[in-house]
Amino acid sequence: MKYQIAIVIFIICLSSVSCSKDFLNKTDPTRIGTELFFKDQVQVDQAVNGVYGQLQGITNTGYIFKEMMSDNTTFDLNPLDRGGAAGWEAFEFSTVNSGNGEISNLWNLYYRVMYNVNNTLGKLPASTITDEAKKQTEGELKFLRALLYFDMVRYWGDVVLVTKTLETPDEAFTQLRVPQTQVYTQIENDLKDAVASMPVKQPAAKLGRATKGSAISLLGEVYLTQKKYAEAVTTLNGILPLGYTLMPNYADVFDPTKKNNAESVFEIQYQGGNDLGEWSNFMYVFAPRLSGAAITGYASVVPSGRNIPTNDMIAAYEAGDLRKDVSLKTSYTATDGTVVPIPYVSKYKHAHTIAGRTDDNWPVIRYADVLLMLAEAINEATGPTADAFNYLNRVRTRAGLSPLSSLDKTAFRTAVLQERRVELAFENHRWFDLKRTKTAAELVAFMNAHGAREKANPTVGRGGVAFNAQDYIYTENEVLLPIPAPQILINAQLTQNAGY
Amino acid sequence: MFLAFILPGTLAISQDFNITGKVSNGASSTPLSGVTVRVKEKQTATTTKEDGTFTITAPKGSTLVFTHVGYALREVAVTNNAKVEIQLSASAGGLDEVVVVGYGTKRKRDITSAISTVNMADIGEAPSRGVTQLLQGQAPGVVVKQKDGRPGAEFEVRVRGISSLGAGSEPLYVIDGFAMGTNAGVNVNPNDIESISILKDAAATAIYGARGSNGVVLITTRSAKEGQTRLNVSVDYGIQNIPKSRRVTVLTGPEFAQFKKEVWMDNVRYFQNREPSINEVPIGFRYPEQTKYSTNWFNEILHNNAPYTDYNISLASGSGPIKSVLSIGYYKEEGAIIKTNYDRFSIRANIGGQVNKFITMGWNTAATYSRQNLTNTDGRNAIVGSTLIMDPREPMYDSTGAMRPYIGGVDGVFGYPNPVYLLNHVTNKRNIADILSNGFIEVALLKNLRFRSSANVRLNYNNFRFFQPSTIGNLLGSGQSGAPPKLARADENTDQLLNYSLDQLLTYAPNIGENHTLDFLAGFTAQEETTRGVSGSGNTFPDDLVPYLGAAILRSSNSFELGWSLLAYIGRVNYAFQDKYLLSASMRREGSSRFGAKNKYGNFPAASIGWRLTKEKFMPKFSWLTDLKLRASVGETGNNNIGNYSSLAFLGTDNYILGNAIAAGKVVTSFANSSLEWEKSTQVDVGMDLSLFNNKVVITAEYYNKLTKDMLLPISIPAVSGFTSSLANIGKVENKGFEFAVDYRAKVNKLNIRNSFNIAFNRSKILAIKGPNDALYYGSFYGGYNVQKVGRPIGMIYGYKKLGIFNTQDEIDKAPKQDGVIPGGMRFLDADGNGVVTYDTKDMVEIGNPNPKFTWAHTLAMDYKKFDFNILFIGAQGFDIYRNIEASTMNMDGVFNVLDKAKDRWRSPQNPGSNPNDQHSQGGTNYFKWSRESSERYVYDASYMWIKNISLGYALPKIKNISSAKVFISVTNAFLFTNYPGNNPDVSQRSSIEGGNDDEAYPVPRTFAIGAKLNF
Repeated sequence: MKYQIAIVIFIICLSSVSCSKDFLNKTDPTRIGTELFFKDQVQVDQAVNGVYGQLQGITNTGYIFKEMMSDNTTFDLNPLDRGGAAGWEAFEFSTVNSGNGEISNLWNLYYRVMYNVNNTLGKLPASTITDEAKKQTEGELKFLRALLYFDMVRYWGDVVLVTKTLETPDEAFTQLRVPQTQVYTQIENDLKDAVASMPVKQPAAKLGRATKGSAISLLGEVYLTQKKYAEAVTTLNGILPLGYTLMPNYADVFDPTKKNNAESVFEIQYQGGNDLGEWSNFMYVFAPRLSGAAITGYASVVPSGRNIPTNDMIAAYEAGDLRKDVSLKTSYTATDGTVVPIPYVSKYKHAHTIAGRTDDNWPVIRYADVLLMLAEAINEATGPTADAFNYLNRVRTRAGLSPLSSLDKTAFRTAVLQERRVELAFENHRWFDLKRTKTAAELVAFMNAHGAREKANPTVGRGGVAFNAQDYIYTENEVLLPIPAPQILINAQLTQNAGY
Repeated sequence: MFLAFILPGTLAISQDFNITGKVSNGASSTPLSGVTVRVKEKQTATTTKEDGTFTITAPKGSTLVFTHVGYALREVAVTNNAKVEIQLSASAGGLDEVVVVGYGTKRKRDITSAISTVNMADIGEAPSRGVTQLLQGQAPGVVVKQKDGRPGAEFEVRVRGISSLGAGSEPLYVIDGFAMGTNAGVNVNPNDIESISILKDAAATAIYGARGSNGVVLITTRSAKEGQTRLNVSVDYGIQNIPKSRRVTVLTGPEFAQFKKEVWMDNVRYFQNREPSINEVPIGFRYPEQTKYSTNWFNEILHNNAPYTDYNISLASGSGPIKSVLSIGYYKEEGAIIKTNYDRFSIRANIGGQVNKFITMGWNTAATYSRQNLTNTDGRNAIVGSTLIMDPREPMYDSTGAMRPYIGGVDGVFGYPNPVYLLNHVTNKRNIADILSNGFIEVALLKNLRFRSSANVRLNYNNFRFFQPSTIGNLLGSGQSGAPPKLARADENTDQLLNYSLDQLLTYAPNIGENHTLDFLAGFTAQEETTRGVSGSGNTFPDDLVPYLGAAILRSSNSFELGWSLLAYIGRVNYAFQDKYLLSASMRREGSSRFGAKNKYGNFPAASIGWRLTKEKFMPKFSWLTDLKLRASVGETGNNNIGNYSSLAFLGTDNYILGNAIAAGKVVTSFANSSLEWEKSTQVDVGMDLSLFNNKVVITAEYYNKLTKDMLLPISIPAVSGFTSSLANIGKVENKGFEFAVDYRAKVNKLNIRNSFNIAFNRSKILAIKGPNDALYYGSFYGGYNVQKVGRPIGMIYGYKKLGIFNTQDEIDKAPKQDGVIPGGMRFLDADGNGVVTYDTKDMVEIGNPNPKFTWAHTLAMDYKKFDFNILFIGAQGFDIYRNIEASTMNMDGVFNVLDKAKDRWRSPQNPGSNPNDQHSQGGTNYFKWSRESSERYVYDASYMWIKNISLGYALPKIKNISSAKVFISVTNAFLFTNYPGNNPDVSQRSSIEGGNDDEAYPVPRTFAIGAKLNF
């Protein structure tokens, strides 16, 4: 009997050894838990880099909402496969409804990035980095927050303003839309802090992160958009001493071998030619559907045929404008030698070594844009002064065009808008420029006229597919996008924009 | 207690007798071999020989117990030395059978919970590819589906419906006491299995705690019979085919050209309102009758008469204190699609016995190695779906006789890699090595107190290798060319799993008098599983000669590790009074690494009672009423399939480029939820076990109601939180149902008949999700939706209700507005009555129910002299399938080949097809809109009856040195009776809660087999 009990005790001891206290505490060894992070400079840098990384996602689809929705571009319709394209096509045809999947993606994406901005901001005080670094990082994150909200407030008008980390899902239900003015106040305050604390130049290892110049330019545009012209002029003047210049050659601005050049104020960074997963592919998205290798050089990745320059856009260039041939082509030569008259955006067309992985950065703010904003702001504040003409003509001169002079305020306004259209073509400015410079009624009339032209004479052949009756019919409510229907289903207290 | 020690003592003084005797079948009087004869009071036992005879030594006054699988237990008192003649009667799932239950065994007559057993002898001789197939049709409420015909694929098993929306509904599999997980593994050789018990109600499964709520399948592997030494050899050979009647018919080459021509011309007629001239028609299909080739791509990928073989050799040694079974098996199955196959080499050694008076030990070890050649088969763009829709006008071979690697891509028809070429040139292999080992030591501490310690280990090594050479093109739509060469690519991943558990069990069965039986179980178990893996992928190979990662120019790799652990304390008590009142109660307290920090431990109690009416004095005695037992049980179980680390928040990688170099970036990927816990199910079960006519008729009836709450679901949260969903324990689902099984055995002269029928009705209802109006949608606008809606059954099919086809513009103008619809488009219900049928889910309604009203099975077995015959019918009635593939195979754009029935489509108001008002008529010749959206058009009733297995065996006359020999023939998936137009009404390609979606899968073959079994 004793030895039997001994066996039992032996076995029980043996098995209990393996059961230490931590037996039931397991965490994923391949990932870092959030509670362990945001402590030192390396980790804070990684958190900030993560936000920049997410900006790539926003940039990759930005053309749908900022260019295709405007009169600048359309797309290469595939008449044979009409299965699943309704989502993004709606932005071209002005048939966006609140159930549109792209709208949901857009809304979700902005707030996903916003979470990481707010979360990192919230973790900064408890981190061990220097006060100097804290201040600078805070400024940088606030710039990013302003960049996001400035897009959102222009897309949707009143938006939900979240400026801190929500600890539980329940808190999110109490977050409702606030008036645009409140959003703009937040944007302005964030940018003022950013201007005050960000460096004029980032060190070489951080080249590509936002700078004081980025914040000044964005704040200038925020004032301009709100028609606070005097503040806009003052703010934008602040960039003049910071050392930016126009690149002598327009094509160089977009050359991947000249990234972050003297004209670049803020651009989204990409890198092709390797397996790091940071490549861009705008050339492939923008090349006509059936162009195969003719434009991109690689047949293995099929082009999408989106963001195709419209007839209106092509006609917008004055004769002799050097920018036209850099920015777009009106046809391409197929691999079998035939010329296919489908235009495409060539601004992001550069040689690259791996199929589907281009090296092109995406310009967000560049000096030419700032100069034109300054010209616009001065004209609106005080009329077309010599300075205003100077800024406008610096951009024109580089493009090989003759300088303008003796325009009245209205003509100058038109000239600046025109210049912005061609100078900044396909850089995601057009829709917001139209919104800024036109009243809702003017914008609707303008877009309906454009739509009528497209319907009568489509830029790209439609292979016999007729337009829907609803296509290109703009109404005033459509200057704002709908709040995504799923969000209202989730939280019934969220309000919808009029007309959706 | 006092009595317990005195009683055996008084008996021990008696003398010993040498008893000889013979055991035979009470019905047929044929001798029964292999019957276990045991002295009840001692540890001695023997088994009967071929002629049914036995010899055993037993003390006077002791009792001999005769047990044999499939027969009722018999006890005979030893009174003298006389020769005894024993007749055993066949038991219909006999009440005296011993049944394996959680952490122990129990006599069937004492069971007070819902447990079904699968008797291997009742299954017949049909070939079985795995454990899950054995369960098919064997127990009410256990629905086993062969979702596709992939070689080596497991079947889907559901016990009492789908009880979880978030955590899966797979039962727990326990092999020889080792709770392995929710997957039995195809690597268990079915020939090594002795019995299977399926625990259905909470009283039976609560002892498995947070893994018990979907039912538990207990698998016991074979052990040697007392006193026997046997060598068994069995060989099966069979062939597999997709029956002609189960193939989908599509247009031939000339027919497709005709179709293209008509579509093209109808388009001109409608949009340009003129009659096109023949010369305008593109030359590719201008003269359909001149079409040169016609290829039926589906038939081309079939492997006709695909062979399968199964060899098994086992050696059972039952002599001496240590008994053993050794077995070796080799199974090989060629798939019904060429170049797909599965083979499995398995060995098993089960060794154990009594070491001395106090110690019993056992060790079972099994190892399998399997190899699977696969291909992607699910969905329209995979092998099966693509063969239906690719261009039939194209030939297999080019003019030089070489196989063409790419098909289609002309005249606007989608281009696909040639499926035969793809199957021959793409490597897609999975190899699995699996080792399972269970050992135990049992120590008798006191007479009635036993301690059992067991250790269980599973090692699994899994390797997947994929290589696609540059000669495989891309799928490409609409006149674009995806023709090769394309970049070659390769993937390889390997993972290894270690799962072990240690169980310590104490059982105590005090003898407290004749009228009372009592036993206790107390135990402790700990289990841990760790999976580690590496994966690599590469592309841009310089050539196709070296299909390994090292040859790739661009490579990437990854590694991972994940795991879980649990600790549990268990206790159980069983009490019976005079066999009349039966009581059982159990408790498990379980902690798991998967639960949030605030809820590390959960309690899972259960209790059940039984009342044997036939033992009551007030019950009149009827000769036909053998036994009647009523029982009831209640218990709480859990489902811990909630992901390993769901309660924690982690950082994910989102890198950036700074200074023109990579810059590490991190972002938060989810909310943390420290209060996350397991799903809880409370189940009530009321049952009746009835035996009539001396066990000739055995009836079991069962009602249950299972309430699952705190389901772990991703709930949609406002995106402004930074995330679109978060996991939470919410929602309630009810499953209630009725199960009925009857087993009837009869003997007519020399013919023995066994009829076994079972039927189950299950109704699910979602009681709460989040708030009263919430609903969860799964699926897509063009692929069919399933909706989880409060007050409704799980997974209702959701879409537009079809009212017909618009014939004229006038009809369109008068109907609620459907943006973009033209004549020929389908007319849908404006469900919200606002005058507009919107192009989203707003006007969609429930259009089908994927849950059968009832499922049933019937086994008819007969033996006559040396012949035995077995046939299994299964059926499911009253359920729907969304035949998603028809959105492609009935696509009227002319970009795909189409079904034969497309010839009878709507073409114009004058030519609307023979039955435009049919629910399944196709609209939309001219325009893509309002034809392929989720709608009633694609919903089919899939009720079926399936003759799953037929087998016929013949026992050969006695041959020298061979104790028995048998040959048999069988047919599996013999005949299917259904109106469903797809290959397989059991198809289900999405998760359980998105039932009934068919986008084409690997077709299910019919198998003919012959085989032989020899016993030496």
